[in-house]
Amino acid sequence: MDHTHSHTPKPPCRLQVGTSGYSYTEWIDAGFYPPGTRTGNMLACYAETFNTTELNYTWYQMPRSRAIERMRRKVPANFTFAAKLTRTLTHEIDTNTWRMQVAQYRDGIAPLVQSRQLAAILLQFPKSFPRTMQNRKYLALLLDELAGLPAAVEFRHASWATDRVFAELERRKITLVAVDEPNLPGLFPCLDVVTSPNLFYIRFHGRNTKGWRCGNMQKQFDYHYNDAELREWSDVYIKTMADNARSGIIFFNNHVRAQAPDNAVHLTRILTEQGLI
Amino acid sequence: MERSIIHLNIADFAVAVERLIDHRLINRPILIVPGKAYRSAVYDMSDEAYRSGIRKGMLLGRAMQLCRDAAVITPHPDRYDRAMQSLLKQVLPYSPLIESGHGDGHLFMDITGTHRLLGPPMDVAWRLHRQIKNDLGLNPIWSVAPNKLMAKVASRLVKPAGEYIVGSGDESDVLAPLPLCLVPGIEKNDLIRLNEFNLTHVFQVTALSLAQLQLPFGKRAPFIYETMRGIDPSPVLPLGQHPPVIRVEHEFSQDTNDAPILESHLYRLVEQTGQCLRKRRLAARRIGLFLSYTDGKRCIRQAWARPATANDLDLFEVAGRALSAAWKRRVRIRHMGLVCDRLVFPPAQMALFENDRQHSEKRDGIVSAMDAIRHRFGPGSIHMGRSLAA
Repeated sequence: MDHTHSHTPKPPCRLQVGTSGYSYTEWIDAGFYPPGTRTGNMLACYAETFNTTELNYTWYQMPRSRAIERMRRKVPANFTFAAKLTRTLTHEIDTNTWRMQVAQYRDGIAPLVQSRQLAAILLQFPKSFPRTMQNRKYLALLLDELAGLPAAVEFRHASWATDRVFAELERRKITLVAVDEPNLPGLFPCLDVVTSPNLFYIRFHGRNTKGWRCGNMQKQFDYHYNDAELREWSDVYIKTMADNARSGIIFFNNHVRAQAPDNAVHLTRILTEQGLI
Repeated sequence: MERSIIHLNIADFAVAVERLIDHRLINRPILIVPGKAYRSAVYDMSDEAYRSGIRKGMLLGRAMQLCRDAAVITPHPDRYDRAMQSLLKQVLPYSPLIESGHGDGHLFMDITGTHRLLGPPMDVAWRLHRQIKNDLGLNPIWSVAPNKLMAKVASRLVKPAGEYIVGSGDESDVLAPLPLCLVPGIEKNDLIRLNEFNLTHVFQVTALSLAQLQLPFGKRAPFIYETMRGIDPSPVLPLGQHPPVIRVEHEFSQDTNDAPILESHLYRLVEQTGQCLRKRRLAARRIGLFLSYTDGKRCIRQAWARPATANDLDLFEVAGRALSAAWKRRVRIRHMGLVCDRLVFPPAQMALFENDRQHSEKRDGIVSAMDAIRHRFGPGSIHMGRSLAA
């Protein structure tokens, strides 16, 4: 019997680019949606340009399976969603009820899991969540509760940027979210570390240094990336990350005046030129 | 333009305010009851008391049987008003269109078109919630919806705490599985009528056409048809601009079911209303009558004035019709209230026939003469004989 090993080339990384949220009425004024688009029709309209989105509203309220199912039906089968974990599990943690809330969350997003349209669960922890013993324990327990789901963790506090954290995420095959944000002291740095072979995840928040801590989203995320900034990401980070993961999702959060979809289209064009998409 | 309405609702508002003042009341069943007599009716209660089976309007004696360890507190309307004012201060910077209840912890805000200034509506609602919780210690339910009806339904769905976002276009889907009793605006009589047809949920009613609904409901059918589909074009009124309403009431010193006494008090209330209307040069098109019985049950009925009037004698006829409709029980009555709304400027159209005109002028003449005497000698200087039994 011939036991020669044939070398199978690594399949290309599946890259998807989209925006954080899609339901912004100001995007009508900015020209991304046609005039008169109703918010109920925005997702279908959005899906004509992009094939993935990040669900922001699941941060504000616990997802409800009926609503998620209705939303899922508005997009093609190859469209994927990254759902943000609810704020009561990341920002306003109730130590008594969080396990019950994880169960509720799982029930809520079940339609996306069943239809294989869930690209990731985004656990975005605030600046007020530093790397303390208590928070490390909570994160470990939370990740245990979310086992089986494609979790991705975004830290805002710089104390989490250590090799031990990356190693543990790698052991658990949990994605570390790479972020582009203003270069301010104490913020989590911009890194291209890939901790899961399944998925890398990038979020572009904009680099509005002045507005970042003003408490108003309209100022915090008011930024437009230029061609050079996007090409730097594409050449330096995305290429490397794509070599180390089977898929990658990239979201623009600079939603003000529809700068996010504009940048997302631009980056898609650059990645296509480079043969990454 | 699509609207963005935020509804903030502090569940069991009176209880929440009392708990802010006295922390020992937290996690205890609480009853807010005016007076502590056995027959006093429950005005508000905490969620713990509600779960014991206590309901608004229940007699205190019965309520205490159901929940023996409940703390009984006398209402403090001044505290609730102050808390409501503080709440309004928090929300005022966000929109001029704020419609609030009367010291009940409810308010609607219309933030349509503020997206570019304030950010997404759900973010505004969440920030407000956080601000109210931090600054006032109150924990409001918040909901965001395309209209007031859906915002109110959403709040009801998560009561006593939580949040609900209803997307535009999702109105019918959100309402469909709900029991009819959860839909605001659907009154007891509507429910009884709908139950007669074995209709208990919204999706069953939405299966009916407007023409089918018109058979049992007549003129009310379009309202029910639209409500079941989550359609509510009513605007959020600017703060302090509620539709003009005149409200007067009387609490009987001794509960009564004596017809002459009730009618004489009703006439007194009509006189007060009429004077107020005439002073404001307005006329009422609708009169509502509230009766509260000894056992805590309430009944509200209304009657229409056609044409609109400010004349006491005409108003009394309309109020009398409302009283006949509301007073159907033998139980004694403790409290009577009269509300005049749909206020308009008095109609300029004169009566077509001479007899009617003379009759109307005579009635107006009597009332004008009485007003002149009251103006000169004081409000209690002259009364109709029929009100003397009061």
